[in-house]
Amino acid sequence: MSVAELKERHKVATETVNSLRERLKQKRVQLLDTDVAGYARAQGRTLVTFGPTDLVCCRTLQGHTGKVYSLDWTPEKNRIVSVSQDGRFIVWNALTSQKTHAIKLPCAWVMTCAFAPNGQSVACGGLDSVCSIFNLNSPVDRDGNLPVSRMLSGHKGYVSSCQYVPDEDAHLITGSGDQTCVLWDITTGLRTSVFGGEFQSGHTADVLSVSINGSNSRMFISGSCDSTARLWDTRVASRAVHTYNGHEGDVNAVKFFPDGNRFGTGSDDGTCRLFDIRTGHELQVYYQQSGINEIPHVTSIAFSISGRLLIAGYSNGDCYVWDTLLAQVVLNLGQLQNSHEGRITCLGVSADGSALCTGSWDTNLKIWAFGGIRRVT
Amino acid sequence: MAARPGCSSSVPSLPPPCPKSPPEYPDLYGRRREAAKVQMLEREIGFLEEELKSLDGLQPASRCCKEVADFVVANSEPLVPTHQRGNKSCRFWKWLCGMSCFSLSWVCCCCCCCYSACPVHLELPCSCNCNSCSPCKCCSCPRCSVRKCRCFSCPKSDCCRGISCCSRCCTFSFPSCPSCSCCSWPSCSCCSWPRSSCCSWPSSSCLKCPKVSGCFSCNCKDICCDPCYLCY
Repeated sequence: MSVAELKERHKVATETVNSLRERLKQKRVQLLDTDVAGYARAQGRTLVTFGPTDLVCCRTLQGHTGKVYSLDWTPEKNRIVSVSQDGRFIVWNALTSQKTHAIKLPCAWVMTCAFAPNGQSVACGGLDSVCSIFNLNSPVDRDGNLPVSRMLSGHKGYVSSCQYVPDEDAHLITGSGDQTCVLWDITTGLRTSVFGGEFQSGHTADVLSVSINGSNSRMFISGSCDSTARLWDTRVASRAVHTYNGHEGDVNAVKFFPDGNRFGTGSDDGTCRLFDIRTGHELQVYYQQSGINEIPHVTSIAFSISGRLLIAGYSNGDCYVWDTLLAQVVLNLGQLQNSHEGRITCLGVSADGSALCTGSWDTNLKIWAFGGIRRVT
Repeated sequence: MAARPGCSSSVPSLPPPCPKSPPEYPDLYGRRREAAKVQMLEREIGFLEEELKSLDGLQPASRCCKEVADFVVANSEPLVPTHQRGNKSCRFWKWLCGMSCFSLSWVCCCCCCCYSACPVHLELPCSCNCNSCSPCKCCSCPRCSVRKCRCFSCPKSDCCRGISCCSRCCTFSFPSCPSCSCCSWPSCSCCSWPRSSCCSWPSSSCLKCPKVSGCFSCNCKDICCDPCYLCY
């Protein structure tokens, strides 16, 4: 077949794809008989309301000398790992604010970090396209640095996000600027599976975020600059299980809803959305007009342990706490006293759900906890 | 080649060299690339047709919304606890801590779950409404899945270690910077890590002295135990 004929087929195939996508969109609209807020209002749910001292900043973790880019809680104890533009990762005791480790990274351009399920190892990745694993129990060298215990090399682009597979200290999933996600075997340092890429059906732009299903660790979600989120089964790398359309900008953050059957997204289009993984329905859009011309991007999201709250950090320094059911902002942590002085880049809720940690361009991390009694109906 | 001097100009000059254009090879790489793109699109068409088919008989969004609402309502939310948590015994502890922070910070400490090494081990009543719970340590009921109390363990539990425990141990001296003796808070300046000069950072393990800022929740204004998450 000549190039001219191939180009003609390409044109026809593109039109068919666009037509099918439009038909899918129309059919989905017909199935969207309500959204979560509409349903909750019909059920008579009342809004969560916070008083001025209800959700308070009770710790400020100071120590980084550059913008904080990523943080992660340990699954068990109240420790946090954070990485920063200063080229270091720090492990904090969230209760005492003590730093138990402050380690210089081999590549200062770090973008993501994650704690192993056993709390003994930390993974960091960034512009060097490598995910480095550190064993926190290893002896430090003369300069006080931890040696890298394993380097996960293979990505052809920056490592934007990483997460250990729950309850598996030897497996990690990374998202990358090379448009792929990879499942790694840390013991060998080898790639077990590559999701997407040049010859497989996957993201068509940089992957910015990943989230593994806590209820079924074979499933994970990735968010990308191609404005989609995709659901993957780690047993099937050749294609995504489902692609979720709706956003109109880069999907910067993805996080599973606590029940494992839904997930949230945050995007450059200024919205957060809730999708159902099985049906593909877009169940809710969370958007509030900020009143200024430029729409702030959503940089990070987290769900509270019950799913009642969706916390979202924005590029303008806001940190909205959304009532997930009624899709309204109930608190702006960015405007509270003692809040961050810069953009909030990362969020995480502790394993027991009793505290929220935020990391910011102001170089600090802050811990937020509830300080009162509130009725919820 | 220029004519030699003295030679007549009758020798015709050769035309300048003119390399031939390369032969037109077939653009195999471009063709294969185009074919790969077409293949990907046709694969995408297959996936989209499958998805379109799967929408037949799919449950409407309202069923999913119900599942979301049911899940949220069925699970307690520590960041927004229910009113039922305000039972009498909890209010007593809250009052006690509010008083104790002025003069009995170790009680405050203990009531905030500093049970590891404090000489007096006080336990908060289990407020999880779980009948099957045995008297539980604050925040650590082994049987109850509902979060019991809202405070984290007092940060002094680490510094106590069985040594003069909790007595307003804001004179926190553990762990001290191995290379300096200046960690006798509140005069320590070395813990403005990493900018300090008295710690041989980065090789030291100098850790940040807990700064006292008063117990937030109990509104005590006096120097208090290290800020516990929630002071009862």
